[in-house]
Formats: sequence, structure tokens, C-alpha cells
Amino acid sequence: MPRISPSALRQARAISPLLPQLLRPCRELQSAQNELRWLREHAVKVASTKQWPQWHSYLQVLCRKRGKGVPLQYLLGSEYFGDLEIICKPGVLIPRPETAASVTFLVERLTEKGHQLPGELRVLDLCTGTGCIPLLFRHEFSRRSSTRLRLMGVDISRAAVELALQNQGRLETPPRVYTAFSFHQADVLSPNLSNPSASCPPLFEVLNDQGHMQWDILISNPPYISPQSFFRDTARSVRNFEPHLALVPPSSPIVPDEEKGDPFYPRLLEIAEKLNVKVVLFEVADLQQADRVAEMAQRGGIWKGIEIWRDEPSAPSHQNETGHVQFPTLGRGNGRSVFCWRDAAKSWLGAAARAA
Amino acid sequence: MFRTSWACRTCLYRLPRQVVWRQLRFQSTTSAGNISPALIARARSMTSEHSQLSKQLADAFESKTAKKIGELTPVVSALKDWDKANESLRELKTLIDDPSTDKELRDLATEDIEQSKGQLSRASQILASSLIPKHPFADLPCFLEVRPGIGGGEAAIFAGDLVKMFQAYCSKNGLNVAILKLETADGTSNLSLSGAGLTEAILEIDSPGAYGIFSCEAGVHRVQRVPATETKGRTHTSAASVIVLPSFPANGSEELDFNDPNSDFFVDPKDVRVDVMRASGAGGQHVNKTESAVRLTHIPTNTVAASQEQRSQARNKEQAWTMLRARIAQARREAREEEMVRLRRSVVGVAKTGRQDKIRTYNWNQQRVTDHRSGLSVHDLDDVIEGGDTLEKVMASVRAWMVDQEILGLVAEVESQK
Ligand SMILES: C[S@@+](CC[C@H](N)C(=O)[O-])C[C@H]1O[C@@H](n2cnc3c(N)ncnc32)[C@H](O)[C@@H]1O
Repeated sequence: MPRISPSALRQARAISPLLPQLLRPCRELQSAQNELRWLREHAVKVASTKQWPQWHSYLQVLCRKRGKGVPLQYLLGSEYFGDLEIICKPGVLIPRPETAASVTFLVERLTEKGHQLPGELRVLDLCTGTGCIPLLFRHEFSRRSSTRLRLMGVDISRAAVELALQNQGRLETPPRVYTAFSFHQADVLSPNLSNPSASCPPLFEVLNDQGHMQWDILISNPPYISPQSFFRDTARSVRNFEPHLALVPPSSPIVPDEEKGDPFYPRLLEIAEKLNVKVVLFEVADLQQADRVAEMAQRGGIWKGIEIWRDEPSAPSHQNETGHVQFPTLGRGNGRSVFCWRDAAKSWLGAAARAA
Repeated sequence: MFRTSWACRTCLYRLPRQVVWRQLRFQSTTSAGNISPALIARARSMTSEHSQLSKQLADAFESKTAKKIGELTPVVSALKDWDKANESLRELKTLIDDPSTDKELRDLATEDIEQSKGQLSRASQILASSLIPKHPFADLPCFLEVRPGIGGGEAAIFAGDLVKMFQAYCSKNGLNVAILKLETADGTSNLSLSGAGLTEAILEIDSPGAYGIFSCEAGVHRVQRVPATETKGRTHTSAASVIVLPSFPANGSEELDFNDPNSDFFVDPKDVRVDVMRASGAGGQHVNKTESAVRLTHIPTNTVAASQEQRSQARNKEQAWTMLRARIAQARREAREEEMVRLRRSVVGVAKTGRQDKIRTYNWNQQRVTDHRSGLSVHDLDDVIEGGDTLEKVMASVRAWMVDQEILGLVAEVESQK
């Protein structure tokens, strides 16, 4: 990581003595200044509710923590995900803007003019974390369509499920356009791979108990970083402060290093088939992983259309970013997700049928 | 690109009439009897259009016609008053000139004639201003952008003083004001917590007609005082600039149709490039930076609007769109006004104050504020800077001056068409 130049530090100190320590996590002066402003607003707010005697001493505490790399979202207690403010707590992964872009794009594709949707759309989100994906799906979908929704989020972590329920409670909006919305603790991988940290029921047991073995859409942003990439490519504040369980999947030592981020995908595709899912959207780390996942899906033989979406899937593709041969690749930025649909979903996705 | 709007035709509609009249009487550059015959001719033709349309409306109601009639009505009644004043003056003159008038009556008439002249002068003024077309942004809310100019730290402090002045003016006059952006030199977002002054502020005055009220504030404000930081007691001269932009309702309205490609307010989303700041590198789960900044570029005009105030990217995008629309519409409007000014200048020298020109000086040592356009000086500087009635007095003098400029321009334009 490049060192921060002494002149940048001097400049920062001239503006505020609190700023230089924020330069470490932020790298750039402008974003350090933005963070200082948000932290100050937060400190003033907290002090005004008497949770802390003095806002400036609290601000100093916050800046010191931020300087050590604690994610801003944990300090402020939330992150924006599309239009929604999602509560964040240490122990549960902070939602990322790329995920919000994919979910929004999926909803746009489903709600384009003239598309025929079933009377009720059933959406399952595996590895749900804060619950941000089904919450945003509902928010974006219900302002475009009057189709009813059944939503379920599943995570292995108790803390995640509790936080997701809290977020759901906070974002509850009266005209209910969904028949059900729930979060459950379950292990997505078992019984395929035993997960040592898991002492919770397998997914199918929970689905069976709930009586919901049929789903239309499966979304997942599973742990996808390989152990090697975890040490090489993640930011320090991710590595040191976000839950390892959310980032790095368990992997067997015999697979090649670059495939050690993949274990969730074959399992997710298998689940999709068992639950009779018509559309899947999986987030991935990059174009290479997207390729591998798209190929896995193709080998399954049941998917009529397979696409790769980049960070900003709705943006026009750059010339130099096309040239991907095998699968249609949409948008701008890093390879970000794999999108597959079955013949039965053709009428839901006019544009998808066109692209194939 | 963002020049000040140099004329505010709206104040006549916006402000208590008496204020405007008084100002016009004392400061007018167009005086009574010599109202241009060209303007009278125009008023007459508008009046006949008015009666024609009224007949049409009696036959069949049409909202467009009704609207047009509404626009012409002030001209019609102003012309009627002017004719009446003219008529009574003529009668008095005839009376005086008539050798058969007895002395007592003549004396009375001579006394009255002064008053009648005053009446005619007022009527002329009102008639002239009724002919000025209404500014299309007049009834809109507005944005005020305040930035320090030359003068370093002292300019930053003065820019902060101006922001507080506008805020106080708004609260005293029942206008809604919100801070959209406020950056201080020490990174504080609160002026009263910061001793360092301002680097940039954007205020939104969300009351209808705010554009008409504040367009007289656009330009360079100059300050002369001994800065708090000055140890040798020297007076410094520094400056801050103010830009006034119209603020459009998010989805247009009946009159401001965003979807009408011919309107000033239309911005085709296809012409706008959206750049969101993304953490470079792998992205996704690998990083958790808060990069919520959004930048919009209107490609045909290379107009840029950016926002990084909010943690929410969606909110930043909305804010950037509002600013982009405001800038483009203002630029288009000004391009047309520029064109008009050129036309008028070729006929007579019409004064124009661009945003690069200094418009007002605040002199602390003498406790004096002088507006360089209207020429008005007031001595209650504290009341001005606290947004009090004295500031309103200064602003009103400028609005009146702007109306005068408009009238001059209109005369030039009408006469050049003959
Ligand atoms: C990358 S996070 C995604 C969180 C959220 N969906 C989002 O986009 O912000 C992955 C989540 O998967 C959960 N997880 C890890 N292993 C799991 C398993 N075997 N079964 C179910 N969930 C698991 C983690 O607890 C974590 O919340």
C-alpha cells in the first residue's frame, strides 16, 4: 500500500488535528474530510441524547478508532444500501454498493413493461447477513409492481439473523405488498461440507419445517474470497474488523488456490434445482470467478440463459470491457455477478430472452 | 458560465407595492412626461389585443386565452391610469392657457398642476414596468452559492458572514432556508463551531418567489475591515461571491415541463454521464470504503454537478441532478439575456452587472454599506449583516434599479424595431 505523503499529512493537520489519523484508512484527503464531517455529526447527535457527555471528546474517540481501521459503518451504526439505511453491527458484514446495484438491476429487469409475472413471486436470499438484499428487493420491487412477494433470508450466523430481523422491523412499511417475509438461521452448505463453526440446522430442514420447498428466485452473496486473496487483496479494515465467516468459505486443501473461493456455488446451483428456482443471481469476486460459476451453471444443463453482470450492470458497456466470448457480459466495472434463468421465466424477463 | 441574472422584473409582483413605488419615484431614471412614445404604442396594441381576447373568451372559454388575458391586464389598467393622468393634466393646462379663465381658478389650477405632474410620473413608471415581461424563474425557489474570493482567510470569514446574513434575512422574512452544503476551512460543517470561515456553502431557499427576491444578491460582495487576525490594525479589502440559481420542483410542474425538449428546464438523461466514485481495485467484499460521491456531466455543454455531502449515494444523485438542472437552465436563460443585452447596447448604453463585477461594499470602519448599482449607501451596517430591515432597504433599491434597467432596455428595443 502506498505511503501517505508528508505533504498530504501536513495539509490534513492544517485543516484539523483529527484529520491525519483518518488519512490512514481513507487514503485521500477529500474522503477523510467527508468522514470527519459524518463522524462529527454523529458525535454531536450522540452527545445530544446524553449517551456521552461531550461531543468533542466522543469525536476524538471515534477518530482514534477509525484511524486504527474500524469501518466507518460500524462506528456510525449504519450503511446506505440503495435508498435504504441498513443498521450495521460488528460481527455482521457491511452491505456493499455493488450488491445494491445488482439487486436493483434485477428488479428493473423483472418489472420492465409488458413482462408477465406470476401472481406471487417467491424470493429466497441465502447468506443474507444484514438482510439487505431481500429488504432492497422488496423496496424496489413494490414501487414498480403490485405483484405479491414472499421473501425469506437465511444465514448461518445468529448475530446476522438477529440484525436482519432488526432491520426488517425498522424498515417495515404499511401497505404490505407481500404475503410473508421472514429470516431464519440455517446452514446452506451442510450436509455437503461440514462447517466447523456451525451448530445450526441444515437449510432443507428449515425450509421443510416452514413448508416452503418451491421458490422462484434465488439470490446469494455468499463468502467468495479465497484464503490467498484474503491476505493479498482485502483492505485492512475488512480483514481485521469484518467477520471472516462472511468472507472466506471453508475449502478443501486439494483444490487449486484460485478456486478456493468457489465452494458455495455448486451447492447453490444444486439448491436452485431442488427448489425449482427459475432465476438465480449470485455475486462473485471478479470476472474469472464469474466465468467459472457460469460454466458450472452451463454444465447443469437446465439454464436457458446465462449472463455475467459487472459492477454497474445498467451502464452502457465500455468498448474495451467487452470481448468476453462465451457469456453475454453487461455493464461497466469488475465482473460482479452471474445471472441465470430457466425457460419458465422467459415471460418474466422480456429483455433476457432477447439477449440470449 | 454562470453569470448573474442582471434583471429582476419580478420584484414588482413579489413585494409590497408601496415599497417599490417609493423607490421608483426617488430613483427612477425614466421620468414622467418623457415616457417613450414607442412604449405607449406598444401598450395600446396590447390593450387592443386584450379586448379582442376578452371577446373571444366570452364566446368560448379556453384556459390559454384566459391566461394570456391575465398577463395583459396589468398593462391595460396601467395604460388607463396613464391616460387619465394625462387627460387631467391636459385639462389643467387648457384651463391655464385659456385667457377667459378667471384669476382665482387659474391659481387653483397652477397649484394642482404640480400634483398632476407627479401623478403622471407615477403612472408612466407603472406603465413602463407593466410592459416588462415576467422573468421565467421569478416565482421559483432558489439556491444561493457563496464562496470566498480574493483575500484569503478573511475572505472565508466574510463569506461565512454573508451566509449568516442570508439565513437571518430568511428567518426574519418567513422564508424557508436549508443548508445543502457547507464546508469550512477547518472541515467543520457548522459555522458557529468554526472559527476558520467558509470554503463553500449552498443554501436552498425553498419558498416560492425566492429567486425573484435574491437575484439582486448575485455578484461580488466586498468587505473592508480590520480582520480579527490582523495585529497591526490594518484595514484589509477582501471579497466573496454569490451565485443565485433557480430551483425546480423535482418533477416539473404545469409551467416547468421537464419533458418538453423546448423548455429551458429540459435535460435529456441520455446527455448526462453519471460517474459514481468507486473504490479502485477489487471492490465487492474486498473493500468497505464509503464512496458515495456522484458526479453528473451534461456532455453537450460540459456542465458538471457533483455531490458528496451525503453518505447515501441515492441522495447525492438527487442533489446533483437538482443542481445540474439549475445550472443548465440558468445558463440557457443567460445566453438569451446576453443576446438581448447585446441588441440593446447597440442602441443605447445599458449598464449591466456581471457576476465578476463588485456589486456592494461593506465598510466596517465607517459602518457603511454601499450598493454600487443603485448607488444607495446606508449606515446601519450591523442591521444589514443581521439580515434586518436595512438589508431589505438595500435589496429593494437594487430591485428598483434592475427594473429601471429593464425599462431602458425595453425602450431601446422597442425603438430599434421602428
Ligand atoms: C458476504 S456475506 C453477505 C451478506 C449480505 N447478503 C450482503 O450482501 O451484505 C456472507 C454471509 O454468509 C453467511 N454464511 C457463511 N457461511 C454460511 C453457511 N454455511 N450457511 C449460511 N450462511 C453462511 C455469513 O454469516 C455472512 O453473513
